[in-house]
Formats: sequence, structure tokens, C-alpha cells
Amino acid sequence: MRALIVDDSRVMRRIVGKLLEEVGYDVVEAGDGAEAVAVLEGSAELPVLACVDWNMPVMDGLTFVGEVRRRPEWRSVTLMMVTTESEQEQIVRALAAGAHEYLIKPFTGEALLEKLDLLGLLPARTGSGA
Amino acid sequence: MTTVVAPDEGLVRAAVDLVWSTMLFATVEPWPSGLDAALADGVRATIELQGDWNGRLALTCPAGLAGEIAGAMIGTAAADLSAEDVHDALGEVVNVVGGTVKGALGGELALGLPDVRPCAADEATDEATDGGFVLGWNGAPIHVQVLAGRP
Repeated sequence: MRALIVDDSRVMRRIVGKLLEEVGYDVVEAGDGAEAVAVLEGSAELPVLACVDWNMPVMDGLTFVGEVRRRPEWRSVTLMMVTTESEQEQIVRALAAGAHEYLIKPFTGEALLEKLDLLGLLPARTGSGA
Repeated sequence: MTTVVAPDEGLVRAAVDLVWSTMLFATVEPWPSGLDAALADGVRATIELQGDWNGRLALTCPAGLAGEIAGAMIGTAAADLSAEDVHDALGEVVNVVGGTVKGALGGELALGLPDVRPCAADEATDEATDGGFVLGWNGAPIHVQVLAGRP
């Protein structure tokens, strides 16, 4: 299974990517929403999961979520916001825009895996991470 | 209407503690008062909050410690990381601290994007602040500042 990580922080992409790879994902990365749109447009195999930061340059995560939901051909992609935006109002905005799950930074590896489990997207639990 | 005041030391300290424990798997301690906390070659990460309160949060530490922070986050030896990795990691630290503070303050606030750059020796202590304190990790100081107003 493929996962797309959309975050302007290269370090966060590495951290999330490592956790996802440990449970069996092939990971692709994008540094902002516009780059992520280009990745999806060029994908022969769509990712089943996209972990999306909110605050990014060029195209933010909320706009990206809206863009994915606007395209019927990308409906199969499960969207999880992974962001510092922790207010209830922001969570509601993201879910209303089409995000399926929401994970607030900072988070533990365990918390990420629990969210995947809730989404039915935890392929093989090989370690708890941190 | 929500009245938002500048984040106080307790709130910012709690955010830093949370980030260190969750992202670095470590704890920070107050810097001993009798120990010199001056920086010779610092790296400074700032993030801006705009809205009901306008200001910035800044974290400044020695360049070597910034590398150790990045290494702890990624799980890699600091020596194996590029300068870009180190700046990126420190930016993410201040981003998550800022986001945590923003969430705790409430009101209408927008978080900017982190800015990370080398800083002059006294920059961490010269700028007028609404509050600040020094923490220590791995034997080096981390200056944490609340800077009111826009840069």
C-alpha cells in the first residue's frame, strides 16, 4: 500500500515516513499541497492514505484536502490531517472539507498507528514506534 | 469577544516540555542560574502568531545543540545530518511549540511559518521581550522568548 506524506518539513516527512514504512507502506512525499496534487496526477497507483500538514507554503493542507475531494477519481484516497492546529473549530473545518481523520502535533508513533487502525489502514503492526 | 494576553512562561514552558518529551523523547530542565548561558554561534527559530495577540515565539540555541535536537528527532547521529536537516528540525520544533501555545491561548489566532537562521552572539538576549527563560538540554542552553509585536 502506498502513502503520501504532505508536509513542508523534510524532518517530519522522514519521521512519519519511517513510521509508515515500519508497518508496510511504500511512502511518497510532497513538500506542499501543490506538489502533492502533482504527485497524485502523476500516479499510476494512487496512495490509499495521505497524511497532510495544514500550514504549508504555496498550497496549504486544507486547500489540498478540498482539491482531492473535488476530484472524483481521487475519492479512494483517505485523508488524515497531521498538524499543530488543535482548536475544535479547525478540526471541524478540516473534517467538513473532507478529511477523514485528524492527528495533532506533537504526536507519538503509537497515536499515529492508532489512527491508522481506526481507519482500517494498519496493514501489519510490526512495532510500536515512538 | 475573547481577550487574549501574551503567552506566559508557564504556558510556553509546558509547550516546550511537551515537544521535547514527544518528539525528542527527552526532558529539558531550567538552566542553572549561576551558569553562563551566552551563545557564541547560535541558531534561532521563530514563529509568528497573528490575530488577538500579535507576536513571535523564539527558540535560540548553540549550533551544535541544534544538530543534537535534529538527531534526536530523526533518530540519527547529528554528524550525519545536513545543515538543511538541522534548520528544518529546529523549525518544526518551534512550529509545534507555537501551535501548542496557539491552541492553549484560544481566541482568533493564525500561526505563521517557521523561520530559522544563524544568529549573532547576543541576539537571543538583546531583543526586548514580553517574557523569556533559559532551559538546558545536553549541557547547553536554549533561550526561549516571547516577543510582542510584529518583526
